[in-house]
Amino acid sequence: MIPENIILSKNKKELTLAYGASNSILSAEFLRVNSPSAEAKGHSSDQKKIVSGKKSVSINSIEIIGNYAIRLIFDDGHSTGIYTWQYLQDLFKEKDEIWKEYISELRRKGLNRG
Amino acid sequence: MSDIKTLAIERLNILNPEYRDLIEDIVVANKKIYLSLKTDKSQVDKFTKIKLQIEKELIGIDGIDSVSVSLTSHSDSKKQAADPKNITKGISEVKNIISVASGKGGVGKSTTSINIAIAINKLGFRVGLLDADVYGPSIPKLIGGKQKPKISKTGNILPIKKYDISLMSIGFLVSEDTPMIWRGPMVITAVNQMLNDVEWGELDFLIVDMPPGTGDVQLTMAQKVPMTGAVIISTPQDLALIDARKGIEMFKKVNVPILGIIENMSIFICPHCNKESHIFGFEGAKIEARNKNVDFLGDIPLEIDLRESSDIGRPIMYSKSDSIVSKKFLDIAKSVVNKTMSTSKSKKPNIIIN
Repeated sequence: MIPENIILSKNKKELTLAYGASNSILSAEFLRVNSPSAEAKGHSSDQKKIVSGKKSVSINSIEIIGNYAIRLIFDDGHSTGIYTWQYLQDLFKEKDEIWKEYISELRRKGLNRG
Repeated sequence: MSDIKTLAIERLNILNPEYRDLIEDIVVANKKIYLSLKTDKSQVDKFTKIKLQIEKELIGIDGIDSVSVSLTSHSDSKKQAADPKNITKGISEVKNIISVASGKGGVGKSTTSINIAIAINKLGFRVGLLDADVYGPSIPKLIGGKQKPKISKTGNILPIKKYDISLMSIGFLVSEDTPMIWRGPMVITAVNQMLNDVEWGELDFLIVDMPPGTGDVQLTMAQKVPMTGAVIISTPQDLALIDARKGIEMFKKVNVPILGIIENMSIFICPHCNKESHIFGFEGAKIEARNKNVDFLGDIPLEIDLRESSDIGRPIMYSKSDSIVSKKFLDIAKSVVNKTMSTSKSKKPNIIIN
């Protein structure tokens, strides 16, 4: 589903996707560490890298890609993530589990949110 | 002489891409370049500097003895009156962009594209055709040979006008035998140029003749262009249908509505004995359309007239508009137009940055 509005908060750390009456809110950190780019995800699942230290990352700008996605440009220079409408919905739906897994993965690797 | 003009515009573009938009007129005569620049009265100093910079740059062109740059200024209303054609470059004033794709090569995408483009024009719409097959451009051949596109006053590429449609193909820019030995990034640049540096102007439909496959060109188009819909072409043969299926899936992934499937080379009717032969299989594409839950837009028979008219560069839709095949193209064109009108355009979200 295509959101009607995509709103970036004043502090640029929170993205709101508005679909009619329902809103999904995703933090810049959450989007950054779950970037779908090959740079972050690798080309196969065993190449997946965990991204740490992004607690204070913010979104500089948003670009619409064709009919199907947005590209987010983060202030740490990461700009290759193309977030499809479907991916954004999936991220929101499974937000809590993804986040819990991310935190425990950080801990296992001795990393932190920064 | 016109080559010097092109070179001069290129040089200005390298100097500063904004300067290109300032060019009001450029004339080359007797080893002299006369250039007039649109200027803003309130910024005389700035433009005097630009004038000197441009003169210095252009005097470096071989075979040029002197350069004369004049500054002109108009009030806005006057400018509009003096410039009635005011054509926009790029695709910002194109209402519907329809991509014609197949997956498999050699199923008749380009022949179908040109004939549908002409058919839609016959229905009363303004139509353009972009040959996005940078590796194997076929459109120049299909319209009767290569023509060199002209460069507009402002340095943009003007599309070729033939059969009442606007055309652009990489094949107009290189010789027929030159292979495009390019990696992805070059291909993407070429496609971007054909989209953005061409003065497409106001069009109701831009038909994009896609290369076969699901590669760089398809991805670039999907990312850079708000496509209204896609038409898939296949022969009834299983081998072609496998790739057509991939094409359908690709467009679904990038959220481009499939307007329908056209079956090409559907049937061969022997001109001697009138016997019907299903050379590539029977109704394969029609069945596929049903399976994939997409519309079937029509079938085009395998016909010697169609092949011959294509080879001599006089599309059948134009040269024999009352033939059976042309009537089929016209019906398909009607369906494409109707489907386009009824397909809800995916609305772009608003991006709000506080």
